[in-house]
Amino acid sequence: MTSRGLRSLRPVHVVGVGLHPYRSPSDAAYPALGVHAVRAALADAGLSWPDVQTAYTGTATTVMALSRLMYRHLGVTGIPMVQVENASASGSSAFRQACIDVASGLHDVAIAVGVDKPLHIRFPHPVAGVRDLTGDRVVPFTHFALLANRYLHESKSDVAQLGLVAVKNSRNGALNPFAQRRRALTLDEVLAPPAISGVLTRLQCCPVGEGAAAAIVASDAAIERLGLDQARSVRVLSSTARSETVYPGQDPDAALTRETAEQAFLEAGVVPADLDVVELHDAFTVEELLYLEAMGISPDGEAAHRLAEGEFDIGGRVAVSPSGGLLSMGHPVGPTGVGQICEITRQLRGEAGERQQPDATLGLAHMVGVGEVCVIHILEAP
Amino acid sequence: MIGRDAGTSTPAPKRVAAQEGLFDVACDPPVLLGTRCGACDAAFFPPLGVGCEICGAAEESLRSAPLRATGRLQAFATVFRHPGTDIETPFTVAEIELDDGPVVRALMLAPTDDDLAVNDGVAGAWISCGATEKGEEIIDLRFAVKENRS
Repeated sequence: MTSRGLRSLRPVHVVGVGLHPYRSPSDAAYPALGVHAVRAALADAGLSWPDVQTAYTGTATTVMALSRLMYRHLGVTGIPMVQVENASASGSSAFRQACIDVASGLHDVAIAVGVDKPLHIRFPHPVAGVRDLTGDRVVPFTHFALLANRYLHESKSDVAQLGLVAVKNSRNGALNPFAQRRRALTLDEVLAPPAISGVLTRLQCCPVGEGAAAAIVASDAAIERLGLDQARSVRVLSSTARSETVYPGQDPDAALTRETAEQAFLEAGVVPADLDVVELHDAFTVEELLYLEAMGISPDGEAAHRLAEGEFDIGGRVAVSPSGGLLSMGHPVGPTGVGQICEITRQLRGEAGERQQPDATLGLAHMVGVGEVCVIHILEAP
Repeated sequence: MIGRDAGTSTPAPKRVAAQEGLFDVACDPPVLLGTRCGACDAAFFPPLGVGCEICGAAEESLRSAPLRATGRLQAFATVFRHPGTDIETPFTVAEIELDDGPVVRALMLAPTDDDLAVNDGVAGAWISCGATEKGEEIIDLRFAVKENRS
């Protein structure tokens, strides 16, 4: 059974976005990170905190019940607030809840905030009683090293083509003041030791640090009542979430993204070729190629070749990870999915500066999370 | 790889599995302890105990199902960095489509993947990895190539 889609409810718009730079873990307490991002989003929207009627906080690695101890620094208003945990897709899921809240008519202004520090990173399988023959030796980078091995075999691509994903995304991240890795890398640097797992070297794996991101969504009624700038309001066309099923003979990560994307495009009423900007879950280089093909943005087996030809560069046919992606902007977990919405919003407003994809009118944000889940949002320029 | 009996008059020590409930160390060649759903006939490994992932049938429908520890390599990776301290690097992890159905992840006998290729035929083999305080031999499972893809 599929969803009727966000467009069957009342329109939802992103009206304000803000970030705290992603960075290596520091001594800073998480409220300072989150409040920084919220204040930036409020300023971007031209709103004050009492205008926000409900809050969803995407978080996975910090601590339970963290919302109120953060939002109180903005002045207590008594609004409902809840943590949303969905592994790497926590921020995307928080944003989805905020969209659904406004689309349903429950509230007119909602905020999704992602905030995390890498304090408690544990995986669910041992606690769920799931044991395997590896004895829990398959951590995420080895999971994706296995996928890379299979992808290279099937697509007849080589390791250097994988490395070009990190080269492109580092070039974009170098232009992003919020990115954790802010240096453009050469292919030799990307492929240089240390080797981590399989063909993956350290620079083909994303950094996991701390940070925060915030996105405020509002209804048409709120935009009019609060006098917000309609020309900077980005419509959320679809919000699609699915969980893994069983895919005999297929890579389950790619298959889950494939069916979620098919539903997302249907709900948004667009096709992959319409996209101008894509932010996706490139925690490891191979993922960008896998997901571009799974979402129909590249034909199967051709993503590496098209990447090398510049098709996914800023200024290319479709800019992929113009923020630098998880590989260069970083992956602080809770914030990551909301940070993607910040980047897509700036791109669709034409406010992305040196990272601007020319004439961008349609953007897609994609995250997957351990468990396994997939969340995709499609946004449209004002 | 080890045999079941050293062939001497000294009784072989009792063997215990390094991981309970995943394989039967009394079997040689090795057998995995999978699950088969009596309602939809789907086979699973690791074993399921609460309900069927395919059809949702309850625990009563799930039956223990021995699965041969033989199959074909789907993917492999040599791990050079690992956060755990219970295994030395490098070691090699493989994804194997079992001849009896499920795709499993397992450790390869060889520490590196120099001689591996996708679609190689592989088979499980017992290894001895120490003893318990009671003197029982701890047995684990590793896979090795039995048939090169060429």
